[in-house]
Amino acid sequence: MSQGVLVFARNNVEVDYVKQAYFLAKQVKKHLNLPTTIITDSGKYLRHEFNDYTTVFDNIIEIVWKESDLTKNTTLSKTEKHTYKRYHDGTLVEKKLEFKNETRTLAYDLTPYDETIVLDSDIIINNNLFKWCFEQPNDFLIYKNAYDLAGFRDYSEFDNISDTSVDFYWATCIFFRKTDTNKIFFDLVQHVQENWGHYKKVYQLNRVVYRNDHAFSIAIHIMNGFIPGREFAKEMPGKLYYSTDKDILFKIEDNEFLFLLEKEKYLGEYTPMKFKNHNIHVMNKFSLNRCIDEVLNV
Amino acid sequence: MDERLQKALDFSNYMVTLNNQKRVLQETVYQDLVYYTSGSKFTINKELICFCSTLANLNREAVVLIDDNDIPVRIENIKDFLENILDVYFTATNKFHSEYQKLKTSRSVEKLIEL
Repeated sequence: MSQGVLVFARNNVEVDYVKQAYFLAKQVKKHLNLPTTIITDSGKYLRHEFNDYTTVFDNIIEIVWKESDLTKNTTLSKTEKHTYKRYHDGTLVEKKLEFKNETRTLAYDLTPYDETIVLDSDIIINNNLFKWCFEQPNDFLIYKNAYDLAGFRDYSEFDNISDTSVDFYWATCIFFRKTDTNKIFFDLVQHVQENWGHYKKVYQLNRVVYRNDHAFSIAIHIMNGFIPGREFAKEMPGKLYYSTDKDILFKIEDNEFLFLLEKEKYLGEYTPMKFKNHNIHVMNKFSLNRCIDEVLNV
Repeated sequence: MDERLQKALDFSNYMVTLNNQKRVLQETVYQDLVYYTSGSKFTINKELICFCSTLANLNREAVVLIDDNDIPVRIENIKDFLENILDVYFTATNKFHSEYQKLKTSRSVEKLIEL
């Protein structure tokens, strides 16, 4: 059975997701000893910027825009109408940038592995916990519970997809095996995505922007027989620790991170926090990229 | 600024940082207290330890336990299982103790985050 990690990296004008994916692949090799496949629309940039890309990535799958460009190791872009979202860099800096997140639903069709862990490029792997995914018997794992480093913020939006709707699941880290049931699931996620206007009304979502976490949560609810519960989707190992984009990742040193966490009620002030030896989802892409630059330049 | 107020504000910052570090340390210890075996997952707590200890004392060998995902798992040797969970438990709690002591003796923000 082949095993590996799949990461999606689609740059916008300011955020270099490819660089994050490159760093992630290195961490995956170091801690999990697994190959990584990258799915990107910036293949040319990847080959130009990272000389050792062939040793870091097992496969590069490029996103193309025309059917006539389709060859081996390419996939067709689902849409060119990308959404825009607000990216923060700490509490005082905010930018509205393009967010190309629609390809993730193709994970099942694109993965070259029998057993796959799909990871966001802004996750830092810092231990070998995910190895357990391949040893356990459940075919689909996803995080339901996550832990905010700051502690004081109200993130009830991560309990349910809206106040009156179903459980929230994080599409940030997923493990799946290639099974008939998982094929049905991923086809369903694509169906939800393609009919987003309908599903967001049925599931009482008041956000306009499409979000993978919501599409996956809706699909899990349907697969589960339209009832809450953990029958279809089991929990990924450990807990998903995260810092939001209002926090700043200041330094990465081996397995240790120094964060500046947003201070409650004091805009622009931060509390330092040291965090080590656990995987973490760093939502502040700008500070993550600055730290990766430092690590890669050492 | 009044020196007394400055000192109080410095101490306040120290307390916020200390409490944050303690909170995250405690949370990560919960993660260290999980035992993964044969594809199953057990959160180790005193209840699990006592139950396994009772089974071992009753000279049971192979038993079925229910893991964190509510899946029944056949444990072939409960004594080995007990030994393993105790090992994980003490590794995690010893680490917790040493990290906690380090925090307790760090009297400034700089020392707390070892800058």
